[in-house]
Amino acid sequence: MGRSWRSFFKRKKESEVTEPTVEAPERDEAAEEPEGLAPPVATREAEEAAAPEEESAVESAQVEEPVADGSVAEKPAEVEQARAEAAEQEESGGWFGRLRQGLRRSRESFVGQLNAAVAEFRDAGDEEFWERVEEILITSDVGVPTTARLVAELEQEALEKNVTSAKELRALMIEHATRMLSGPVELDVSRKPTVVLMVGVNGTGKTTNIGKLVHFLPGKVMLAAGDTFRAAAIEQLQRWGERTGAEVIARERGADSAAVAHDAVEAAKGGGADILLIDTAGRLHTKVNLMAELDKVKRVIGRQMPDAPHEVLLTVDATTGQNGLRQAKLFHEVAGVTGIILTKLDGTAKGGIALAIANEVGVPIKLISVGEQIGDLHPFDAREFAEALFGEL
Amino acid sequence: MFDTLSDRLGSALDGVRSSGNLTEDQVKKVTREIRLALLEADVNYGVVKKFVANVRERATGAEVSRALSPGQQVVKIVNEELASLMGGTASKLQFASRPPTVVMLAGLNGHGKTTTAGKLALFVRKNSGKNPFLVACDTYRPAAIDQLEQIGKEIGVPVYAEGTEPAPEDIAQRGIREARDGGYDFVIVDTAGRQVVDEPMMDEIKRVQSAVRPHSVLLVLDSATGQNAVDVAEAFREYADFDGMVLTKLDGDARGGAALSVVSVTERPIKFASEGEKMGEFDYFYPDRMAGRILGMGDVMTLIEKAEGQLDRQEAEAQSKKLMAGKFDFEDFLKQMQMIKKMGPLSSLLGMIPGLGKQLSGVNMDDLDNKALGRVEAMITSMTSQERRNPKLLQNPSRARRIARGSGTTPQDVQKLVKQFGQMQKMMRQMGGGGRASKRMPRMPFNMR
Repeated sequence: MGRSWRSFFKRKKESEVTEPTVEAPERDEAAEEPEGLAPPVATREAEEAAAPEEESAVESAQVEEPVADGSVAEKPAEVEQARAEAAEQEESGGWFGRLRQGLRRSRESFVGQLNAAVAEFRDAGDEEFWERVEEILITSDVGVPTTARLVAELEQEALEKNVTSAKELRALMIEHATRMLSGPVELDVSRKPTVVLMVGVNGTGKTTNIGKLVHFLPGKVMLAAGDTFRAAAIEQLQRWGERTGAEVIARERGADSAAVAHDAVEAAKGGGADILLIDTAGRLHTKVNLMAELDKVKRVIGRQMPDAPHEVLLTVDATTGQNGLRQAKLFHEVAGVTGIILTKLDGTAKGGIALAIANEVGVPIKLISVGEQIGDLHPFDAREFAEALFGEL
Repeated sequence: MFDTLSDRLGSALDGVRSSGNLTEDQVKKVTREIRLALLEADVNYGVVKKFVANVRERATGAEVSRALSPGQQVVKIVNEELASLMGGTASKLQFASRPPTVVMLAGLNGHGKTTTAGKLALFVRKNSGKNPFLVACDTYRPAAIDQLEQIGKEIGVPVYAEGTEPAPEDIAQRGIREARDGGYDFVIVDTAGRQVVDEPMMDEIKRVQSAVRPHSVLLVLDSATGQNAVDVAEAFREYADFDGMVLTKLDGDARGGAALSVVSVTERPIKFASEGEKMGEFDYFYPDRMAGRILGMGDVMTLIEKAEGQLDRQEAEAQSKKLMAGKFDFEDFLKQMQMIKKMGPLSSLLGMIPGLGKQLSGVNMDDLDNKALGRVEAMITSMTSQERRNPKLLQNPSRARRIARGSGTTPQDVQKLVKQFGQMQKMMRQMGGGGRASKRMPRMPFNMR
């Protein structure tokens, strides 16, 4: 059950890595501003161009496995344990099991409601039934526009296919939600070093999920304490560094975040790191100055490594309501988000905002975090998420 | 998605003149819009249902006042209902007759407890002359204790911590004893963030509460929380009953409907509003202001206060007169822009003005915002003072070309700006020009008192 970590990382052999020619590495200051928004597009284009290679990338990843294992062995025992735990979990029902367990309370009432509704389903023309489905989606934070779209699609298809049984209907619902949620989930770690930038609103779990992610990343991982603003954020990341054995690049609190990123990219290039995870301070998407700072961090990284950052991950708290959409939109505009980490799915929240984000912003969900343990971070699987949302078939 | 309720109601009631009663059909249309607006603001579904039923009852057959459009009439009813639901007035802190007053903070991960602890300490010292003391009981999140210690140092408040080994309830008890011995009269106990489905953690906060017996338990709630806020609050009520809430991250653009839901379901008031990352950005919560925010009706009071903080009062008054008279020119616009830039993004400020949304819908606000502001500024500064005072001159293409060259823009940009400015002037004239329109706008933000 669940998408495995192995296929989650998109890896290529060194020789396969082609420098994207779209972007000139040297940019003069004057030309810089208008180009500010160009890099994400270029990167995405490059990614898309690389997409057909995906299959072979997975193969080569397997070939490389012994190497990866070798480097893993250098990590402290806790990492091994976490991996073992994760593997164990994958055997015992996978993250889907965790998710189900985590969502137990809310799911019971949610699926109960849905079951009751579906049981009363007579035919696709049943207005009351669709209203009920609407209600269920809205109470899961899916939001009005996405709910309206989903219900309209479902209604039409149910009519066309003359769906009369509850079972068929539920399959259809899962189908549609899955389609809405599907996107490229793999994390592209093919460059050396691959630079991953973590962004998000305050308290959504950036630092915590960096800590979790380190355990699963292949190769030598380096961390950068780019949150130089919040009290003890640097210490928090350093604690994660101690736990995982990853080197942490940091400056003092109050230092320029872009400068930390600069140091870190240099260190990663010089120190032979495979992956660099750069933490940033939490910021509300409405703060113009802070968003400009993020833009600067991104530009500084791009100046040192023309196609970096290779991944920009946005953490979104699953308990967030419709504001999650605004967060995703604005962060995407400024930082060119390549994927979402949906965090804190272990509470009563159903994470319906993921559906809204996928539908309205078009950024794929890449990872979900369903608990506080290290092993609770999982590659996102659209179908399983949809199943968790709508109950089992 | 950020249509304001007034806009929605305006279009639902198009064609309805301001006389007679609202018909049932109109009320139905209107309540649908209210329902959608509340749902988009993250108000809990069940709460919305009840609320809409109330409004429907009051609105059906309600006499439409002459001064207000039917839409405004309904908005007024909604606003009153909302404000009463949230408790009419601000609910202040109670202090224990025998100090120290002990306040415990509880909430989900990442909603802002530790930051709130620091802010609350500073607030009671500044506003109530208390001598605060912080106790660090988050023994889980890496560096949470460091965070509280750094905050304590920053604001000059002592922090009691014992590391991550002892049980939180023991740390709390010893911390309070230490505070009492040290002559501190206000103790804030910070606890770890927890998820309500995590029973061991919920049991823990129950233990902390029964060990400490705080005078007040505050539930810290992120204003961006969605539909599940009610479940969260009910769970906390079960394990560690709270007597009030702190609503955080209000400097974002979340509507905060979750707060309304929680108040409505638990009947516990929101006591504090927290916005921003600076320690001083913390205040008592004023329910009447929140009603407008949830409905997207604008928050005139907040805007006025923001404006008062940044603008020169006399200057603003003079400007507002000009604005209303339609005599507002580029010179004034430039001044306004420079003042407004200090207050935050233009679109969010304009969003605070009730009813402005619809009137501005012809003007693309994004074009006027942020980055664009800089270009607008460049264009205006490239105009001669004569042109600034008389924008009509700019209809001359050679002038537009010159300005475009001077500001690094295109003549089209200049023409667009002039056109938008013209629209704005016209709109302002309509709003300020007396008659019906002015009655629709009971309070203008720049009309200071």
